[in-house]
Amino acid sequence: MEIIAPFQEVIDEIKEKGGDAVKYCYQCGKCDTVCPWNKVRKFSMRKLIREATFGISEIEKEEIWRCTTCGKCPQRCPRDVKQIDDMMAIRRMATGYGVFAGPVKPYRTVASGLSGQGNPFNEDRKTRAAWADGLGVKPYKEDMEYLYFPCCYCSYDPRLKKVAQATAKVLKKAGVSFGILGEKENCCGESIRKTGNEDLFKKLAKENIKAFVDAGVKKILVSSPHCYHTFKNEYPMFKVNFEVVHISQLLPQLIAEGKLTLSGEYAKKVAYHDPCYLGRHNGIFDDPRDALKAVPGVELTELPEARMDSTCCGMGGGRVWAETEKHERFSNIRVEQALEVGAKELITACPYCITALEDSRLVMNHADDIEVKDITEVILEVM
Amino acid sequence: MLTYTEVENVEGEAGNFNVTLLRKPRYIKEDKCTGCTVCVEYCPVKYPDQYNQDISLNKAVHVYFAQAIPLITYIDESCLYLKEKKCRICEAVCKNDAIDLNQQPVKEDINVGAIILAPGFEPFDPKVREEYRYGEFQNVVTSMDFERLLCSTGPYAGEILRKSDLKHPHNIAWIQCIGSRQVIEGGNSYCSAVCCTYTQKQVILTKDHDADAKCTIFHNDVRAYGKDFERYYERTQNLPGIRFFRSYPSIVKEDPVTHNVTIRYSTPEDGVIEEEFDMVVLSIGMNPPKGVEDMAKQYGFELEEHDFCKIDPRNPMLTNRPGIFVSGALQGPIDIPESVFSASGAGSQIGEMLQYRRGNLAKERIYPEEKDVSQEEPRVGVFVCHCGANIGRIVNVPGTVEYCKTLPNVVYAQEQLFSCATNSAREITDKIKEEGLNRVVVAACSPRTLEPLFRDTLREAGINQYYYEMANIREHNSWVHQKEKEEATEKAHDIIRMSVARACQLEPLQEFDLPVDKRALVVGGGIAGMNCALSIANQGHEVHLIEREKELGGIANRIHTTLQGLDVQEYVKDLKSKIYQHPLVHVYHNAKITEATGYVGNFVTTVESNKGTSSIKHGASVIAIGIDMYTPTEYLYGQDERVLTHLELEEKITSDDEKVTGAQSLVMIQCVGCRNEERNYCSRICCSESIKNALLLKDKNPDMDIYILFRDVRTYGFNEDYYRLAAERGVKFIRYEPEDPPVVEPGKAEDKRDVLKVTATDYILGKKLELDADIIALAAAVVPSAATKEVANQFKVTLSPDGFFKEAHVKLRPVEFATDGVYLCGLAHYPKFIQETINQSYGAAGRVLTLLSNDIVVASGSVCAVNEKQCMGCGACVEVCTYGALELKETKQGKKCVVNPVLCKGDGLCNTKCPTGAIQLRHYTDTELTCEIDVVVPDDEIMKQIDAAAAADA
Amino acid sequence: MENVISLNENIKELCKSRAAGNFGDVMVVGGGISGIQASLDLATAGFRVYLVEKAPSIGGHMAQLDKTFPTNDCSM
Repeated sequence: MEIIAPFQEVIDEIKEKGGDAVKYCYQCGKCDTVCPWNKVRKFSMRKLIREATFGISEIEKEEIWRCTTCGKCPQRCPRDVKQIDDMMAIRRMATGYGVFAGPVKPYRTVASGLSGQGNPFNEDRKTRAAWADGLGVKPYKEDMEYLYFPCCYCSYDPRLKKVAQATAKVLKKAGVSFGILGEKENCCGESIRKTGNEDLFKKLAKENIKAFVDAGVKKILVSSPHCYHTFKNEYPMFKVNFEVVHISQLLPQLIAEGKLTLSGEYAKKVAYHDPCYLGRHNGIFDDPRDALKAVPGVELTELPEARMDSTCCGMGGGRVWAETEKHERFSNIRVEQALEVGAKELITACPYCITALEDSRLVMNHADDIEVKDITEVILEVM
Repeated sequence: MLTYTEVENVEGEAGNFNVTLLRKPRYIKEDKCTGCTVCVEYCPVKYPDQYNQDISLNKAVHVYFAQAIPLITYIDESCLYLKEKKCRICEAVCKNDAIDLNQQPVKEDINVGAIILAPGFEPFDPKVREEYRYGEFQNVVTSMDFERLLCSTGPYAGEILRKSDLKHPHNIAWIQCIGSRQVIEGGNSYCSAVCCTYTQKQVILTKDHDADAKCTIFHNDVRAYGKDFERYYERTQNLPGIRFFRSYPSIVKEDPVTHNVTIRYSTPEDGVIEEEFDMVVLSIGMNPPKGVEDMAKQYGFELEEHDFCKIDPRNPMLTNRPGIFVSGALQGPIDIPESVFSASGAGSQIGEMLQYRRGNLAKERIYPEEKDVSQEEPRVGVFVCHCGANIGRIVNVPGTVEYCKTLPNVVYAQEQLFSCATNSAREITDKIKEEGLNRVVVAACSPRTLEPLFRDTLREAGINQYYYEMANIREHNSWVHQKEKEEATEKAHDIIRMSVARACQLEPLQEFDLPVDKRALVVGGGIAGMNCALSIANQGHEVHLIEREKELGGIANRIHTTLQGLDVQEYVKDLKSKIYQHPLVHVYHNAKITEATGYVGNFVTTVESNKGTSSIKHGASVIAIGIDMYTPTEYLYGQDERVLTHLELEEKITSDDEKVTGAQSLVMIQCVGCRNEERNYCSRICCSESIKNALLLKDKNPDMDIYILFRDVRTYGFNEDYYRLAAERGVKFIRYEPEDPPVVEPGKAEDKRDVLKVTATDYILGKKLELDADIIALAAAVVPSAATKEVANQFKVTLSPDGFFKEAHVKLRPVEFATDGVYLCGLAHYPKFIQETINQSYGAAGRVLTLLSNDIVVASGSVCAVNEKQCMGCGACVEVCTYGALELKETKQGKKCVVNPVLCKGDGLCNTKCPTGAIQLRHYTDTELTCEIDVVVPDDEIMKQIDAAAAADA
Repeated sequence: MENVISLNENIKELCKSRAAGNFGDVMVVGGGISGIQASLDLATAGFRVYLVEKAPSIGGHMAQLDKTFPTNDCSM
């Protein structure tokens, strides 16, 4: 058996980078039992935490990059070990040394795209608002109620542009006062932060905050739970507090106020998938369901793991940019679960989830069996 | 005794509390209800039975449980009349007119001098966290539910059945620490202290129910810290089909068809494993009692951070309000023995406070005069107990009653559901009078616990209590022949026939009244002995306190602080001065007991001490001789001065020894000298002792690397918070297995300094960790005092397998010996913390006072007697008697044996040695015993068998 | 059950003597094992005790247990 000595410098560095809570771990293994990785392959958070405790983390291996920050283990950890913070600390260390294991090599190019163009695809910053062409969406002005912040994926990704477009149409129909910042906005920085690139996160956040403040933004409406999370819970570290609203919160409100009338018939059995960052991290479980329940004719069913126990799609924590083996994708499990409960459509409220689920649907040859939609797309259809 | 009663208001002060009680309406006239339960039969409302954890149904009118005290019914809120003014069937069927549906709550004022709060605990409710799936998955139950399932008076009469399909589960998982050891919402940060061992109990009992059952326990540290717990743990581990996994699991899903429950657990070798079980038991912990905040306000006591009662570590039975004491689980999560001795301890302190009014209000019990029936023909009454379903399920009880009526001399026989219930005992008394019975046989369970009750029943009826005989048809029959009902019924007939035969031969015996010497002797002047001595002395009794050393204080002289921060030296100093100042306490230093004679109420102990040789007369003896510490031979102890025991470490921390407090790195190794074959017990205190030392060191030198190498961290109760605190302060815990202990070798650190290299396997890493240690501290075992055996012989008390003193009953009589008049407290009983020791020493004082506050004690009538004509004076009996009850005396006919009936314990050893049968144990004479054998098999049957055997030979 | 029952029996007997007055020495709140033990001790040691229990019977949680560790004695 290999003999190894604790490495104090690394222990100190992990602590300094925010992973001090590893010290609380009493190795009960609860984290492993709730971790979605263990549904697709062997993975031990307990071991990663234990390695960090003794400063012997293996930063050259992929293991430290696996955690999708879904939040399942910190929710159940009896000793409050704060696994997400710990993983971020280790990744900060790896990022500091420029060490990226094979499957997360793309993080470098993503970082340069974010740094240069404000988006992970290295697409031209100037085309950020192109999704809205022809929809009559106006640039944000101070007298508008909401700044709509669609997220990089909804701005550039062909599939997710449809979500941004659906959102804009729904908002207009409901008479909501909103505008966009277009090229003035950056990626929110949530996911790059989870990969351990704190400097880049700070840069993106500060630029965004400047743009928001300059434009006089007070309320931000978002499509992505990741944007929601960082605006609401992380931007306050820069001493700003914007009111943040996720579209799935606004929809039931608009319906209840009579601003949206749903007239069409949507006679389908659908299942709702809770995105980690909307549900578990921010406690928004009922609003999206309320919106779906308001859709005439819809049969809403629940997946086996729902709400607090929702299974991650696999895209959080920067994994949206990592290479994940086809058979190791959590979203495959989710598509299977949806099929098992007889759903014809899998509805969610997160661009990452849609990306993953769409992909799994195709990879698993279920393209004809089930569709994946954002909640706004459903609402649009019955308006 | 006031049941179904709440305390509404408390006013006044110590010595004079005015209490307003609210007696809730039972809707039953207590004095009229006979507990016949006819009303229960007719009641149409079925309602989940609270006593059976809502698993089975009960009626709106019911008896709380079969052996309830008082054994009368009450009507709960599910009653149709109370809800909707309908029904009233019970009123119509009650023959005694005991139903009163118009009863209102009644207020009653009482005045008392002191109050003991013993409200117990509330089991953790797993519904507060949906992850446990309790109430959602049908076959997820709590340990309290499972306890009822195991019990013969439970919802399925002792069958373990699943709710989903009423089938026996064969593959059961237990999940530990439900609601305990967690800092997440709804959970408790502390360890509930009892769950590890009760789970092992449930596993053993499950295997008793179903030998092929597979049982799996998921845990994170098995905390077998109590007396005999380690052996119990080992016993559980060694049962076939038992697995222990060190992983808290997740409950994942319920199979929609089989309702089996799937759980996931983590293993270092094979990763996460998903496994299906027939049933999952949640080992729930203890919460503070319900309504504790209101209670605190009402009585004016403070709560600590977990909402248990805030107690003074120097006297854990005190609250901050004078005159109000606390015992049991309100002190925190504790086991039954602690609950019992804290109760006796609180009692003792009230005795100190209210000494002036003792005996003014209590009344003596008066029995009717005893009738002489020795000349009458035997008239035997037989009462056959169903014991709920314990006996009745196996043995045909009505048939057995009929059989009894055919036996010679039996003039009366009947069945009873629970003969031990109050009404049944009364029934026996009544029948003795009505039927003119002069002998009684109760066919029920073991005489060990209930014989005194039934003897008392005879006394109530004016019959000599030794005319009572017990036929054990439960332990000896229904419990061991569960699958052979007919044969068991026949065996019950045999057993009862034997008992009836014996009952006819029994003689009336008289018990002795012995005077009680009002003084006490306390052996051992540590914290336990001093506290016990003071509490006894404060109740007006002289106490002789003997200490073998020059100084009082015992092992506490080597302890400087507790984990909670009590200044132990200050505390001991204070105790010593109280002892020396107390006019009723006489201290003997450098003392050695040379002889101990006598018996309960009348001991004479000879002591050699600084005072010379003293012969001390006393009524009660308390053994509080403490412990010794193991001297390690492991891990270079004694060879390398950098290796210390944890007590040596503590001394060096206190004296600011630079070598220790200035060390860069310190390694502690737990379980040195115990939890092994030679000492198969856990020393209980060392995990907390090591954490205490680690925290002290971190205070003095925050940069020190401290590693604690453990097998299980056993910081039970509130000490769990300090385990987490130590982790917070950077102390690192590494688990090792006994098969692969840490290796210690001299070596050099990276910076070339001389260190001790400690290598230990880390099972999560799957690697060996090599640690540099400037100092190594060994958690050396607590071992029984070297004087234990000698003291045990002197006071004629016994030892447990581990060499500590053995109490009379591990749960219910934890501070006394089976030998009357001898009591026990402190570490001599088993290793324990100072706070527990204080509870226990007051507890022993409380028990001593139940003896010393009486003028007489009663000794058994079942003692040996010598037929002088037959005695040859050989003295064989004298040699074997361990109690010194026999001696040879010169008579005109030569040497004859004489019995001191007070010393005789009735063990009968002498009977077996007597060559002529001259010495006989009364109540167990040859005639009384052989008559039983004679009726086992009838003579003609024996002859037949002999003939058959002879024929076969031929 | 025998254990608690036999204790209970004693207690009951001792408390039978509760006279008409409302004056006692000690009130014990809670009729579980701890409360029962405290009441018994005090009564045997010459005090008059009120044992107050909110449930319809004394016995507490211990009366719900099947057996007790580590001897597997009957809990009742």
